Amino acid sequence: MTKSKTLTGGALLFEVLQEHGVQHVFGYPGGAIMPIYDALYDSDVKHFLCRHEQGAAFSAVGYARAAGTVGVCLATSGPGATNLITGLADALADSIPVVAITGQVPTAAMGSDAFQEIDIFGLSLACTKHSFQVTDINELEKVLHQAFEIALEGRHGPVLVDIPKDIQLAEVTQRLDKLSHLKNKVKLPLADISKALDLLTHAKQPILYVGGGVGMANAVEEVRDFAEKTGMPSVSTLKGLGAINPDNENHLGMLGMHGTKAANLAVQQSDLLVVVGARFDDRVTGKLDEFAPNAKVIHFDIDTAEINKRRDADAAILGDLKGNLPLLTTELDIADWQQKLQQMNTDFAWRYDHPGDSIFAPGVLKTVSDLMPSNTCVTTDVGQHQMWAAQHMTFDDPSNFLTSGGMGTMGFGLPAAIGAQISRPHDTVIAVSGDGSIMMNVQELATIKRYQIPVKVVLIDNAKLGMVRQWQDLFFDGRLSETDLSDNPDFVMLAQAFDIKSQLITKKSEVKAAIEEMLDHDGPYLLQVKIDAAENVWPLVPPNTANDKMMESV
Amino acid sequence: MSSMTLNKYQLIIMADDKQVVLERILQVTRYRGFLINGMNAEVNTGNNVATITMSVSSERPISLLIDQINKLIDIKGVKVDNSEVQIQQHSA
Ligand SMILES: Cc1ncc(C[n+]2csc(CCOP(=O)(O)OP(=O)(O)O)c2C)c(N)n1
Ligand SMILES: [Mg+2]
Repeated sequence: MTKSKTLTGGALLFEVLQEHGVQHVFGYPGGAIMPIYDALYDSDVKHFLCRHEQGAAFSAVGYARAAGTVGVCLATSGPGATNLITGLADALADSIPVVAITGQVPTAAMGSDAFQEIDIFGLSLACTKHSFQVTDINELEKVLHQAFEIALEGRHGPVLVDIPKDIQLAEVTQRLDKLSHLKNKVKLPLADISKALDLLTHAKQPILYVGGGVGMANAVEEVRDFAEKTGMPSVSTLKGLGAINPDNENHLGMLGMHGTKAANLAVQQSDLLVVVGARFDDRVTGKLDEFAPNAKVIHFDIDTAEINKRRDADAAILGDLKGNLPLLTTELDIADWQQKLQQMNTDFAWRYDHPGDSIFAPGVLKTVSDLMPSNTCVTTDVGQHQMWAAQHMTFDDPSNFLTSGGMGTMGFGLPAAIGAQISRPHDTVIAVSGDGSIMMNVQELATIKRYQIPVKVVLIDNAKLGMVRQWQDLFFDGRLSETDLSDNPDFVMLAQAFDIKSQLITKKSEVKAAIEEMLDHDGPYLLQVKIDAAENVWPLVPPNTANDKMMESV
Repeated sequence: MSSMTLNKYQLIIMADDKQVVLERILQVTRYRGFLINGMNAEVNTGNNVATITMSVSSERPISLLIDQINKLIDIKGVKVDNSEVQIQQHSA
């Protein structure tokens, strides 16, 4: 049935957004998207004005990841659109469902190097799951429905819809029924379930290798159940953290470049990897040829292209993890292996008895983690502080740890926290940032101020681009090229300029009270934590090295 | 002097006849490490189906490219036309 009511393209956009349950969007206006902003004026959709389109894109990512829904961002043509690109690339690398709407110059002007014209459709090919350019008003509604379906179908990802100004202004009367606009998907091949069961029952030293796909498949419960019932020791990727129940005594923590010693040694010794929603990323495997050299592989994924991409699977199980993993649940006779790894967990446990008065970042993050309310959502930026957060904080769900994994994008943390807080107004949201990273989207402090978003920022300040400095010290003979930030702004004063309460701490004895004050504060808060510039992240598997050859100190 | 073995393949791709489908295929093929040796494309024909034949070469297994092309939203199907032909290339 079709309804008839005359709408402009701009008004139609917001109607379709609402049909897809969108209540909040992030964006920045400009010439070629003015008709859409004019329609917004009459819409019930709430718009958050970010202070840079990159901030809008990351807020949409944070919103999507924290709430398990689609995030939406808007930008004008030309520079507005290009400013979205880093956020879209980030969403593509981490498989995040985002719909980006860009204004475009009018169709008649397209291809004439018009003012603020850029071929964003062309640029989108390498940084989106799919993209559209709408040149016929009668296509607009169908395209918008498709954009939402594609963002969420199979492996999630970002979709861009470029809408020329005349299409935003054009009128449409015919509406479509809300039905599926996607062609029927290819049937996935039958899974190797019996082969996988055979591998599993013969394994003596199996490891469950948990990735970000688990949270996105909404299969946390199934994975926890599988881990409990099989008793299989598990390791997590950066994006898989939070999937395994924090109380599971057979969980060994994160694997890979900055993984725990127990996780990396266990994987290297394993005879079977059960891979769920993970992709053998180079930051995980270290030297690929020497990764888990004696292990057979059972690979669960929704994306056919991940099977046999970097490591061959002995059994591949394609499709929905939620339905497939329970098929493999069986009791295992692996008590010796469990005991050996539990012993490693004890022997190699993190230590927080750092000598001296100066603040030890791992200890700070452990304290934040211990004191934060349950269901707190933590975002990070990129660098040493990110790895310390992954190592020393505990998360009760993957949607409570938002970090830029695949792209490693500095500037992610603050806007992602804004998006997360808007999607989950009743949960605490903490952005763990670095003194380098925070400056990459520092303008978003203005977004926090405008909407009084009660995000807590824990700024780990080493006055350095610490992660790069660490690599220069370790692998470039200590030639510290362009990593000094000792002339940073006064961050406390900076926060205050945006009406954000803030405090600087420099001594270990101040840590606990300061964190409590921050968590108790009703509004936004920035806690600047001064740490020793020379601290390194350990352990570290040097590049192109097997994961059991980790460095533990200098 | 190192020697690498390039395998040559002929692909037949069926796609929804969208304006940009050719660009998408070219982009993915290059990015995934395949050299395009030639192609023939019947696109924008008005009958909704685009047929593209493409010969590519790479050291990488063709399944990697097929899986990635298949992932493109507008693609209906991809098949390899011939059995592998090996060609030797020498580079300094
Ligand atoms: C946009 C971007 N540019 C450059 C880098 C490279 N990079 C990775 S970590 C890092 C240093 C980050 O410094 P800071 O935020 O202070 O974190 P720290 O390592 O000191 O904790 C840099 C420059 C990056 N990841 N992202
Ligand atoms: Mg720093």
